[in-house]
Amino acid sequence: MRPYLVHFAQFHADFRLAEIEALARLEGVTLQYDPAQYRSDNPFMVVYLESNAAAAQLVHRAILVKEICEHWGSAETYEALFAQLKTNPERWEPYHTCSFRFEVKGFGGTLSLAEQIAIIERFSFLGFDGPIDLKNPKEQFFVYEDYGIDPTETNTTPHVIHFGRLVARSNRNIVQKFNLKKRKYLGNTSMDAELSLVMANQALARPGTVIYDPFVGTGSFLLTCAHFGALTMGSDIDGRQIRGSRTKTAGITDNVKQYGLDARVLDTLVFDICRNPWRHTPSRQPWFDAIVTDPPYGVRAGAKRLGRKTGLNPDISFRVIDGQLNHQRDDYYPPTIPYEMSEVLVDLLEFAARHLAKGGRLVYWLPTVVDEYTVEDVPLHPCLALVANSEQPFGSWSRRLITMEKVRDWEPTLSCHSPHFVPPPSQTAESPASLPALADTATGGAIYKPASGGKNALPGHFNFREKYFYARSHSPYVHAAGSTPPQRDSPPS
Amino acid sequence: MLQCHVKGCNDPSLSFPLQLKDVELEQVETEQNDDLLANLLQKIDWNALQMTATELGLASLPETIPDDPDSDEAFMIKLHEVLMEMNITQGKMECRGCGHVYPIKDGIPNMLLAEHEI
Repeated sequence: MRPYLVHFAQFHADFRLAEIEALARLEGVTLQYDPAQYRSDNPFMVVYLESNAAAAQLVHRAILVKEICEHWGSAETYEALFAQLKTNPERWEPYHTCSFRFEVKGFGGTLSLAEQIAIIERFSFLGFDGPIDLKNPKEQFFVYEDYGIDPTETNTTPHVIHFGRLVARSNRNIVQKFNLKKRKYLGNTSMDAELSLVMANQALARPGTVIYDPFVGTGSFLLTCAHFGALTMGSDIDGRQIRGSRTKTAGITDNVKQYGLDARVLDTLVFDICRNPWRHTPSRQPWFDAIVTDPPYGVRAGAKRLGRKTGLNPDISFRVIDGQLNHQRDDYYPPTIPYEMSEVLVDLLEFAARHLAKGGRLVYWLPTVVDEYTVEDVPLHPCLALVANSEQPFGSWSRRLITMEKVRDWEPTLSCHSPHFVPPPSQTAESPASLPALADTATGGAIYKPASGGKNALPGHFNFREKYFYARSHSPYVHAAGSTPPQRDSPPS
Repeated sequence: MLQCHVKGCNDPSLSFPLQLKDVELEQVETEQNDDLLANLLQKIDWNALQMTATELGLASLPETIPDDPDSDEAFMIKLHEVLMEMNITQGKMECRGCGHVYPIKDGIPNMLLAEHEI
């Protein structure tokens, strides 16, 4: 194994390790690192990989990585770094005559062009005599100066300097392609491009797989998962979101055409996930290789399911209106009732346990009130192993991207309410032929815990809608009743 | 993939596959991916697909899957055409058991149940 320096984007820090672990699994790359070396306030980490090819494969569809370099050295001063480099002069040899360029990047500090050039000059002992080519160099070398992010410190010298040779850049540019500002059809629940793409990575979206979103809304995940080659399908109880307004836009179809994904975004359907028509045949592997979704929290889009508040009244279906049975009229819409968040999630897990193919993944957002959240709130199912739990904070509330993997065939006796003992995934996962087994990596299995708390304990996301609006009405950011609070980040859907 | 899910419509021999009626079909050419088709073949109920294709007048699929489908080029081409290129833009799906009609409008099937069916 050889050392490589990963340069992460300094965004969504809690998602970065989960993403590269998902990618290692997806690409069949052996990835090792010391979890204690990972810092959420720092974009650099050394990982160990088998080869340059493995390093390139690992990051080629990464969203939260910027680039990966062969790690040549890290030190607190340039003198110490040069001493390190000089212990491996054979490493410089292949690059003595080819075209090249240097890039000096500062983290927590900026460097003027003159400063950058002065630093580059100090590396002249490497003897790179080839032409300097800023546009299309054969080789690129990176100097990273890390000043740390503590704003109270005014450092004139970096804490650490890293040096490496570029192996590969990531797929981060693709974020621009899916930028919501450029998307034709949007709703108030559309997921931002970056996280939609990270979700597709967590879901191991790849050619030959079928991915489903049971709360499809305006279809953000259909697009990003299909971009990585998966066939995608979605459903929603509210068909208006899928269709869009007839006059201005054709809804999801418009976006599918915009990104040229017609061949891979299969269908969108209208139904209530609690009363779904998906067929489940015990003798065959289920259809879905991943379920990727942002469940309705009831804040922006009210969660609904079929039902009537006052109890079902089947007679209403059979009333004759304008000479036609009510339920056969073109504009008949069955009655719906609110769908409480914790119920939504239990139903989602039950659905995934049943309809995911073994080795398939469930990737969804769990909204949490920060003060009330405990790890016990994450619902579990005996068929599903928790793989990752990454938080995106918004102050008093946050949402967590939960990734689970199906490790056991569904049986009628297994439910979210059965005793939560699940062995670590590494011992049980039978991977689909194209994927290596779930590696026992830093987080895989470590987050595991048996269920605790009595049957009546309510999770922190119970009644999320009420808590969310309560917190807002008591927030110091709200100046007067009815005024709009300052926009801190995207609100929940 | 879809079966009738009306409460009380429990006869699996009738609730699947739904019968397509009054359909407008549209063929959209797409690139063929054999790995994908091989994956889908493991999940598909062949009899149901074959029957549906025949009912739609796409009588090109054999009654049983050939022994070595991956190397049967003609078969894979037909499968791709039926499975991946045929879109139903308008029409309805009817349950052979309870008779519930699920309408398809602009390519979007409406699978919602009425109040007396849940």
